[in-house]
Amino acid sequence: MEPAVLETENLVKVYGRGANRFDALKGLTLDIKRGESVAVIGKSGSGKSTLMHLMALLDRPSQGVVALNGRPVSELKNKEIHKLRNESFGFVFQQFFLNPNQTVLENVVLPLKIAGLSKRERNRRGLEALELLEMADKAKNKATDLSGGQKQRACIARALVTNPSVIFADEPTGNLDSKTSEVVENILFGLQRDRGITLVIVTHDDDLAAKCDRQIYLKDGLIVAPEQSNTARSEAASSGEPAPSGQEATEPWAGGGSTASRASELGKEGNR
Amino acid sequence: MKAVDVVTTALGNTMRSKARTFLTVIAIFIGAFTLTLTSGLGVGINSYIDRLVQGFGDQQQLYVQKTSSQQSGNANEPQAYDPEKGADKQGQFGMSLLSEKDIEQIGNIDGVESVEPVVAVSPSYLEGENGDQFQVQLGYPSDVNSYEYAAGEAPGHDKDEITIPTTWADSLGYDKPEDAVGGKVKIAVSNVTGEEKTFEATISGVTEIMLSNQGAQPTPSSAFNDRLYDYQQEGLPEGAQTDGYAMAVADVPDLGKQSEVKKSLTEDGMLGMTVEDQIGTIRGIINAVTWILNGFALIALLAAAFGIVNTLLMSVQERTREIGLMKALGMSPGKIFGLFSSEAVLIGLLGSVIGVGVGVVVGTVANALLTGEGGALSNVAGLSLYGIAPLQLVGIVLLIMLIAFIAGTLPAARAARKDPIEALRYE
Repeated sequence: MEPAVLETENLVKVYGRGANRFDALKGLTLDIKRGESVAVIGKSGSGKSTLMHLMALLDRPSQGVVALNGRPVSELKNKEIHKLRNESFGFVFQQFFLNPNQTVLENVVLPLKIAGLSKRERNRRGLEALELLEMADKAKNKATDLSGGQKQRACIARALVTNPSVIFADEPTGNLDSKTSEVVENILFGLQRDRGITLVIVTHDDDLAAKCDRQIYLKDGLIVAPEQSNTARSEAASSGEPAPSGQEATEPWAGGGSTASRASELGKEGNR
Repeated sequence: MKAVDVVTTALGNTMRSKARTFLTVIAIFIGAFTLTLTSGLGVGINSYIDRLVQGFGDQQQLYVQKTSSQQSGNANEPQAYDPEKGADKQGQFGMSLLSEKDIEQIGNIDGVESVEPVVAVSPSYLEGENGDQFQVQLGYPSDVNSYEYAAGEAPGHDKDEITIPTTWADSLGYDKPEDAVGGKVKIAVSNVTGEEKTFEATISGVTEIMLSNQGAQPTPSSAFNDRLYDYQQEGLPEGAQTDGYAMAVADVPDLGKQSEVKKSLTEDGMLGMTVEDQIGTIRGIINAVTWILNGFALIALLAAAFGIVNTLLMSVQERTREIGLMKALGMSPGKIFGLFSSEAVLIGLLGSVIGVGVGVVVGTVANALLTGEGGALSNVAGLSLYGIAPLQLVGIVLLIMLIAFIAGTLPAARAARKDPIEALRYE
């Protein structure tokens, strides 16, 4: 088996304090092997976004360790973390986050610009990435002129342009119709297969999750067996009702001032 | 991100919302324009004064006058008579005059190389080689070294020589100033008993008449002047020979000692002033007025600075997600700060360069219209209301860029502090 590219050990993240204390992660230990595709699945408030932020070094854990290529990085200086993130990670977001005033190429080369590469090198590598995604003819177009699928391909090109070892995709198909979703999924898994890039996909979408090598189900800040997560999920989905009240009583953050808002979040979840 | 990329990205961002940038630049423009005009006004008028007083004697010359003893006490009380000092000599207009004793005292002060009382000779007429006679008032011999000469040179200190102004050369029958040099003039002086006598002097040089009227009078050498003065005083009874001098010129070659000399003069009841001292007062007033006007321009700039703060705060708010993305992609808070403060500086640069440019054009044109031929102030010879000091203009641009940078620090710091996770979630 390949060595782990990302490891976490006893990862804890706590937001707020006192009555507002919210334990987003309660001690997660996992490892992601090089070249693996992993789906992180869970409902809102399950801690999946927090986990992704910690693994992508966008945030620091309250306790525990994140290691990249076997090297603990949580204790590194900010400057080194910025550099690692720029060089080692690519990001694909549900909302694309393309700058509408710039051309597709300018959007794609942003990570290289931040890294401080010369303009010539930036454009060369940017075009290379766009070619790979069959978007080279759109390089000079404004980002706003693209369709949803093209926008997401531009985003993938941007994530790819630094030759990262890991691509984090946060609901990459969340804003796309099923046909376009399939195209984007194929691209992502193609990159994993052909270039050995590790994929970490955070999603609600069971179909997308099923295509990954491995699924990690999160609930209330802990890793759970798939069945446990699915039961609550399908129950709520089939009934169309808010989550059972019994579950609410077991929520660790119940009893705080924020119960109402949590409940409403749950309600939203159940109504999907 | 490289510095050059930071600046070009910032430039692109300022051009993104053109209307907003334009309005902010206008505010800066108004401040820069006003500051350029007001400071240029100070430069212009100061250079006018410089030209006006140009040649009012050497820097090393100290003009000494007697301070009226009545000035120091209560003017309405009678002054006690001191037989040692004798009575203060007074001139026609109640001005205290310098006595021979005072002149001697000045000469003894450390640092004074020589002292010459300024004596006024009133000749009856000046006669040229062609026999024409003219009324004449003579200039002071101490001024000869500061004249500008169209031809020839200053009269020798101990020779019977004299300078004449360019306008006199023509009247005395010379075609060109050069021809006058070496020519002879006769000056007639009456003594106390009314006997008239003529003295002959050689023309050593022809002087240009300056804006300040320096060089507008025939000026004898000090030796010749003394000869004329001695004859003028002839026939006065012994003891009344000298009735005092209105002024004396002391030479203090060591400029560093001037303040000490002035101090000892004050202790001895005299007042010594250099030309600089005399101009300094006028210049002080002009500088004060200029700075008050500059103050108004700076207030305009202060208002413009808040415009920058406002514009950039809006910009930071609008671009929250973009900032979040850049941070997620590894841009450091320092570079984010640099990006936004560069935008502020660019706005300042743009506004100040346009403002200074237009200010210089408007100032120059307005100056030409007002003081040029047919202008409202054209009869004031040599007046300039606007002057260009390149360093000052560069200074204005730099000052405004600094103000813009300071104004940009608040929004830039806010952008730099943004949490990437929060920023990416921002709707």
